[in-house]
Amino acid sequence: MAGETVTLSSLVTWLSRFRDLVTENRNYLTELDSAIGDADHGANMARGMAAVMEKVGASPATTADELFKSVGMTLVTSVGGASGPLYGTFFLRFGMTAGAVSEFDGAALSAALRAGLGGVVARGKPELGDKTMFDAMSPALEAFDASVASGGSPAAAAAAAYDAAVVGRDATTPLVARKGRASYLGERSAGHLDPGATSTAFLFQALAESLAQG
Amino acid sequence: MIGIVVVSHSERLAQAAVELALQMVPGERPRIALAAGAGEADGAPVIGTDAMRVAEAITSVASPDGVLVLMDLGSAVMSAELALEFVDLPGVEIRLTSAPFVEGLLAGVVRAAGGASLDEVEQEARGALAAKAGQVGADAASSTAVSAEAAPVVSADTESSVDLALINPSGLHVRPASMVAMALAPLDATVAIANLRTGAPAVAAVSPTALLTLAARQGDRIRVTAHGPQAAEALDAVERLVTDGFGELVAHTAPIPVIVPSAVEPPVGGPTRDRPLGVSPGRASGPVVRMPDPLAEPVATAALPPAERPAAAVRIDAATAAVSSELGARAAAVTGPGHDILAATALMVTDVTLSGDAKRRVLDAGESPEYAFWQTVDGVAEIFRAQGGLAAERIADLHDVRNRVVAELLGREAPGVPLRSEPFVLVARDLAPADTALLDPAICRALVTVEGGPTSHTAIVARSLGIPALVAARGALEIPEGTVVLVDGTAGTITQNPSEAELAAVAEVRDVVFDGSGRTADGHRVQLLANVGSPSSAEAATAAHAEGVGLFRTEFLFLDRSEAPSIAEQVRAYAGVLAAFPGRKVVIRTLDAGADKPLPFVTMAHEENPALGIRGFRTSWRRPDLLDEQLAAIALAVADSSAEVQVMAPMIDTPDEAADFAARCRSHGLAVAGVMIETPAAAITAPELLTNIDFVSLGTNDLAQYTMAADRMVGDLALLNDPWQPAVLRMMRLAFDAGRAAGKPVGVCGEAAADPLLAAVLVGFGASSLSMSARALGHVAELLQGVTVAQCEAAAESSSAARSAEDARAAAATALGVGA
Repeated sequence: MAGETVTLSSLVTWLSRFRDLVTENRNYLTELDSAIGDADHGANMARGMAAVMEKVGASPATTADELFKSVGMTLVTSVGGASGPLYGTFFLRFGMTAGAVSEFDGAALSAALRAGLGGVVARGKPELGDKTMFDAMSPALEAFDASVASGGSPAAAAAAAYDAAVVGRDATTPLVARKGRASYLGERSAGHLDPGATSTAFLFQALAESLAQG
Repeated sequence: MIGIVVVSHSERLAQAAVELALQMVPGERPRIALAAGAGEADGAPVIGTDAMRVAEAITSVASPDGVLVLMDLGSAVMSAELALEFVDLPGVEIRLTSAPFVEGLLAGVVRAAGGASLDEVEQEARGALAAKAGQVGADAASSTAVSAEAAPVVSADTESSVDLALINPSGLHVRPASMVAMALAPLDATVAIANLRTGAPAVAAVSPTALLTLAARQGDRIRVTAHGPQAAEALDAVERLVTDGFGELVAHTAPIPVIVPSAVEPPVGGPTRDRPLGVSPGRASGPVVRMPDPLAEPVATAALPPAERPAAAVRIDAATAAVSSELGARAAAVTGPGHDILAATALMVTDVTLSGDAKRRVLDAGESPEYAFWQTVDGVAEIFRAQGGLAAERIADLHDVRNRVVAELLGREAPGVPLRSEPFVLVARDLAPADTALLDPAICRALVTVEGGPTSHTAIVARSLGIPALVAARGALEIPEGTVVLVDGTAGTITQNPSEAELAAVAEVRDVVFDGSGRTADGHRVQLLANVGSPSSAEAATAAHAEGVGLFRTEFLFLDRSEAPSIAEQVRAYAGVLAAFPGRKVVIRTLDAGADKPLPFVTMAHEENPALGIRGFRTSWRRPDLLDEQLAAIALAVADSSAEVQVMAPMIDTPDEAADFAARCRSHGLAVAGVMIETPAAAITAPELLTNIDFVSLGTNDLAQYTMAADRMVGDLALLNDPWQPAVLRMMRLAFDAGRAAGKPVGVCGEAAADPLLAAVLVGFGASSLSMSARALGHVAELLQGVTVAQCEAAAESSSAARSAEDARAAAATALGVGA
């Protein structure tokens, strides 16, 4: 059952589940990216998360800042595409804000996620409706915070965040890309799901599932 | 010396770029480090970037003079930005530059080798595209046709642009705008177009709707700006379209239905009439089929829940795709102007500006898709209306698009002519161009509309299809669907449930064939001639047994080009038409350019009031050589022909102009010279005009326009712009009276002669010949054969004494014993 606190091992489960999801959906993500990008998102994310889990397994971290610095740097050096610096910055900032802790309550998790989102914003300068991962991540954090603010457990908040990420992801379909490789396509980018928003929905699906396991 | 870092997705690309740059600097070189690729996976290099590598590269070339970082694209930029967070080099300025990758690297390396500062090197690198932009722009200009006046302009470092003059008559209206958008769609370039006359901001060239907002018309100069990998191709593509006049210079030799969107709404406070107005002659019968009722504006509903918005927004794409593909399929099934209208409408339906804005309204505000689309289109229509001119004329097309898409969203029958396989009579409030483009005259036997006037779209389309039409039929919408009606476009009547005998009479007269000799019931000869505008219409005229040609329009020779045709070419064209009429009369009209027929080499680029501007004979003031060449060519063609050729000038006002024209004709050995009477000035001074010339011919369309001061192109003025207006009839009579007094012939060429009732009135005035489209000959001959000269004279007398156009028509019908 979902507890009120989140342990470091739950977060490792999160990362591992995220790796599984992007690996299982590697071809799907690449297919999405081939419609409006350079057809490497699935391969990049699967490679990056595989490297992350290899690193995490080889030298287990004892604190969140250590764990997520390693995750971020690994992504930065192994992903290759724009999602490298974006997800890399997300996890680097996540870890810096989390600090040298091994347990989180809802508010702490929220603060770390917020910092991660801030990193994505600093890196990509996205706005809502640009057809990017931000379109899934921003509403997910809104929902997470709203759930925590109304007394929800971290697991409940993560479930709400996942639902909101899915809605945000689906809303990218009709949008015209204004950032990234897809923006070169202009209006032709409309009518396709954004691959970055899709992998971000997986990120929150992984979080919701790992926290539900307690 | 500064250090340089090259960040690229590809190691090979970075190495090659550096190699190219270093060729330029044989001596001392700046330190250059690469951060390219993202390592290896499965033994192959990964295309991508790695922020750690960038940080290492920066550290390796760090110098107190600074480090310049050049990046290719996308993640390279992000990785470089991220790398700045990883490096710790106090006192070293590290600058990321937006300079172009290859050109910027080359220019930067050269400057850096010379010991330039970081600022200087970066400035050089960022300006490195200017040379290429200038070069590519110059190439585009050198391939330009003479008339386009292309002038390359380099407006920014990374953009190239070209200025072009619009030479096609209608400017950037819907079809050219669509052609631009279609030409650019496959190219990887971002293109904007601005109208230099208005100075308004540039708009995206991929959006036909946005292009229409430029209100760019003939003579305007536009600036086309492009950037992106295929910017040069994009500029070329637009330039080709503009210099070719969007194919319009050719297309204009075929009749294009005049679109009168303002006729969609009835004139407010204008003249009204109680009885229908016959605007296309003939009789036909069939069951009534009603146009579907127009859609009501969707009402605003409560905002959709956010979760439902994406799905709702996507429905707009589905609806526009369905409507576009249906219109496209229907476009494929027709040819000529109908095809172009439908294809243009189909493209407008999927215009990204419309659907994108509508979707945004659904996603952001939770509006229903139908409400959002309706409001979006109306917003654009409002912009068009404010602009006036050509853009405003497209409002009916926009509304057509709106109605089709909203009907699709609501699951209702598409607006427009219902699809039927059995013949019917179409009854509508009014008809839009997209409706009438699809009419099949074998199935749609007659048109009846509540709105409209004699020059409305309905009237023009019906005449070109040869089916009878009534406009201003106020009670027509009350006739139940399926009721059999008999429509008489000659008399202006509609009869419900006609008798068997009446229907049989319709069947008999449906195909009226002219026997080649016009006469009244009592044997009075009236020459029935055809209007001819091209060699092919000359064939149609002989096939219809026309007695000759009362108006040979020579514009077709001039319209498809940017300079006048040579004398030799003119001789061949004239001789071709004359050969079809051996021993027959052919009246050749000299070039009638201007107003609705602008030509780049004779008319002003744009006039505030072209109908009152340099047109017709007036163009010879500026280009007398063109008239002399044309007369010389006519004289040469005549020398080889047995046709009885007469020559006349269009748009004459004064006796001096007429005398001048006659003298020129005679100097070329052309014996019979006349002028057209199209202005009140010419009609009033007809006695003086006739002292120097041999005949006059009434151009009734322009005479009505100028007498009533009512623009022929404005649908709301249709009831004023009617040759049945007593003022117009009396104006005509002045010319006929002058001809009779001088003993010289007065003919008529114009729509009035094609209206059988009005033709009889003109005979009553004393017309010696009537010239009309070949299709109308049978109907006019038929009516004249049934009436006497005395009846025609009585009709002329009573109609010109009438108080209104409606009364004039009724009086003529009574005097002639016909219908009404």
